[in-house]
Amino acid sequence: MNNPIFLVNLKEGEKAIIVSIRGGAGVTQRLTDMGLTPDTEITVIKSAFFGPIEVSVRGSKLAIGRGIAAKILVKVKE
Amino acid sequence: MKKITLALAGNANVGKSVIFNYLTGLHQHIGNWPGKTIEKAEGTLHHKGYTIDVIDLPGIYSLSTFSIEELISRKYIVEEKPDVVINVIDATNLERNMYFTLQLIELGRPIIIALNQMDLAKKKGICIDIKKLQKFLGVPIVPVIATQGEGIHELVHEAITLVEKGYKKPKIEYGKEVEKEVQKLTKSLNKIELGYPKRFLAIKLIEGDKEIRKLIKEIDPHIIKITEKYAKNIERIHGHDRFTIIASERYKIANEIAKDYISIGSCKAKYSDKLHEITTHGLWGYLIMIFSVLSLFYIIFTFGNFFSDILIESFMSLQTIFEQYFGTEIVSSLAWGVIEGLIAGITIVLPYILPFYIILGLLEDSGYISRIAFLMDKFMHKIGLHGKAFIPLMLGYGCNVPACLGCRIMETQREKLIAIFVTTLIPCAAVTTVILGLVGKYVGLVWALSLYIINLMIVFILGRIAFKVLPGEPTELIMEMHDYRIPHLKTVIKQAWFRIKDFIYIAFPLIIVCSFLIKVLDVTNLSVSIENIMKPITVGWLGLPVFTGIALIAGIPRKELTLIILAAHGGTTNFSAVLSPVQMIVFSLVTMLYIPCIATIAALIKEIGWKKAIFITVFEIVFAIFVGGIMFRLLML
Repeated sequence: MNNPIFLVNLKEGEKAIIVSIRGGAGVTQRLTDMGLTPDTEITVIKSAFFGPIEVSVRGSKLAIGRGIAAKILVKVKE
Repeated sequence: MKKITLALAGNANVGKSVIFNYLTGLHQHIGNWPGKTIEKAEGTLHHKGYTIDVIDLPGIYSLSTFSIEELISRKYIVEEKPDVVINVIDATNLERNMYFTLQLIELGRPIIIALNQMDLAKKKGICIDIKKLQKFLGVPIVPVIATQGEGIHELVHEAITLVEKGYKKPKIEYGKEVEKEVQKLTKSLNKIELGYPKRFLAIKLIEGDKEIRKLIKEIDPHIIKITEKYAKNIERIHGHDRFTIIASERYKIANEIAKDYISIGSCKAKYSDKLHEITTHGLWGYLIMIFSVLSLFYIIFTFGNFFSDILIESFMSLQTIFEQYFGTEIVSSLAWGVIEGLIAGITIVLPYILPFYIILGLLEDSGYISRIAFLMDKFMHKIGLHGKAFIPLMLGYGCNVPACLGCRIMETQREKLIAIFVTTLIPCAAVTTVILGLVGKYVGLVWALSLYIINLMIVFILGRIAFKVLPGEPTELIMEMHDYRIPHLKTVIKQAWFRIKDFIYIAFPLIIVCSFLIKVLDVTNLSVSIENIMKPITVGWLGLPVFTGIALIAGIPRKELTLIILAAHGGTTNFSAVLSPVQMIVFSLVTMLYIPCIATIAALIKEIGWKKAIFITVFEIVFAIFVGGIMFRLLML
C-alpha cells in the first residue's frame, strides 16, 4: 500500500482509510466523536481550492475545515 | 397523581423538537439551564393517570465534555435521574446515531429508542430489523414518523410500561483488550459513590475525561494511578491515544449494528442528492445562494413595507381618537409616548421580523442553511469565524437581539465574542426601514444598496481586526450536512416564535421606557439644549442640520424612531426639503453603525458581561461618528 497522505490532498471522488489524526486533543475528540476513527473509510465528495472539504463517512456527509483536513492522515484506497 | 419524567436525547437534526412538540403541545416552558445560556425546553402531558414531564435535552453527538451541551445533558441524566430517556435517532443514519446510543446506555437510565424518520428510510430503501436490533441492544425500540405524529402514542405507552414493569440494564461489551481493562477498573471503583454507574466511570476514566478524573481524584487518587496503568496498556496494544481507542470501539459496535440489522434496497440517485450537489457547487452554489438571499430580503421588505404602512395608518387613527378623549396635555402626551413605543415595536415585529424568521427557519429546517454555512466558511474564516457563524449574522438582518443570543452556537468564548461583535454591526429590520425611507426614497436605491455594501466591508474589516487582536486559535468547521427534507412547519413557527420572544421580553419593556423618556425630553424642551450640546458633532463634523441631534439620541431605544423624530423636528415628512442627499446618506450611515440599540445592549450584557458590552457600545458610537464624518467629506469632494 502507498504512503499515508493528508486528507486535504485527496482529489474529489477518492476513497481512503483514516490512519490517524495529528491534532490537539480537542480536535481529535471532536473528529472521533463524529466517526472519523482510525481504519474508517472516508470518501472526498467535494474539495475546491479553498473553503471546507466535504466528505462522506459512516453514511453521512460532513463539512470539514481545510485546516483540520490537513491534520487527518489517510491511506488512499486503490 | 403519579409522576413520570421523560428526557429526550439525541443528535442534532433528528427530529427531537418535533417529537417534543407532539408530546407536550402548548404546555411547554422554555427557559435556560441554570447558570448557562443554553436553552432548556420543558413541557407536560397527561396520560393514563400519569402526569408526564418532558425535557428536551440539547442535540449532541457524544457524552464527552467537549461542549457545554454535552456536559449539561450528562449531568442532567445522572443527577436528575429521569424515569425514562427517550433516545431519538435518525433511521437513515443508524451508525452515527448508535454511537450516541451506546453512550446513553452506559449512563444507566432506562432507555427507549424512538427510531425516527422511518418514512425517509423507506424511501432510501433502508430496512431495519427492529426486532433483532431490540434484542441485541436490550432496549425497546419504537418506530416513529414524527412529522406525521406516527408512533408518538406508542412511545408514551412504552415509557409507562417501562416504568411500571422495570428496566433490565443492557450490557454491551467492547473488544477483548479494552473490555478486560474496563472490567478491572470497574471493580476498583466499588466504593466510589458519585451517582454515575461504575462502568460508565471506568470507561470515562480510561477515555481521559477531565471532569470525571477530577471527581475521582478528590476521593481516591490511587484509582487515577491504576487508570494510567490500564490506559497505557491499551494505548500500547492499539497504537492510538486513549480517547480515539474508546471512540473506535464504540463505532465498531455501531458499524456492526448497521451491517447486521440494516438491509439496503436499490438506491437510485435521489432528488435531494442532486439538490445537494448543485447547492454546494463551486459556481452554481454561490449564484443560488446570492439569488436566494437577495430574494429573501426583497420579499420581506416589499411585503413588510406594505403591511407596516397599513398597520401604522390604523394605529395613527388611534392617536386621533386618543387625543379626542384625553387631549394633548402634557400628561396625556406622555401617556401616548408609551403607547407609541408599543406600536412601533409591533410595526417592526409583525411585518418584518416574524416573516423573516419564518422563512429563515424554513431554510434552516430544510437543510439549506448548512449548505450556505459550507459555502461561506472560507469568507468567515477571514474574520476568525467558521461557516456556522453565518446563521446568527443572517438573524441580525431581522433583529440584533435574537442574533446575539444565536451566537451561542459558536464553540469557544472567543468566537462567540467576535460573532456577537460583528452581529451588532449588521443593519436590522429597523435600520433598513430608515435607510429605505430616507436614502432609498429620496436619493435612490443604488445608494441604499451601496450603504449595505459599505456595511459589509466594515463588518469584514472590523471582524478581521477583532480576530487579530483577540488571542487564541480559531476553531475549524466540523459540521454534519443532513439530507435535504421538507421542513416541518410547526417546528419552524415555534422556532421563529422563540426567537421573537427574546426580542419581546428584552426589547419591548426597554423600548417603552425609553420612548417615554424621549417624550419627556420633547415635552420639557430639553431636546433643544441637547441638540445644541451635540452641535459640534452633528453640524461641525458630520455636516448635518442641528435638529438631527435629538433624532440620533432617539435611535438609542429604537433605530426606526430616528425617522419619526426627524419628521417631528424637521417639521415635515418630506425629508428632501430639510436634508440634502449627502446629509441623508451620512445620517443613514451613522444610524446604521452608531450604537447597538438599547435592547441589543441588554442582550450583550446578558451574553458577554457588562464590561465588554460597554466597550462595544462606546467603540461603535465613536466609530460611527468617525466614519460618518469621513463619508461627509468624501461626498463633498
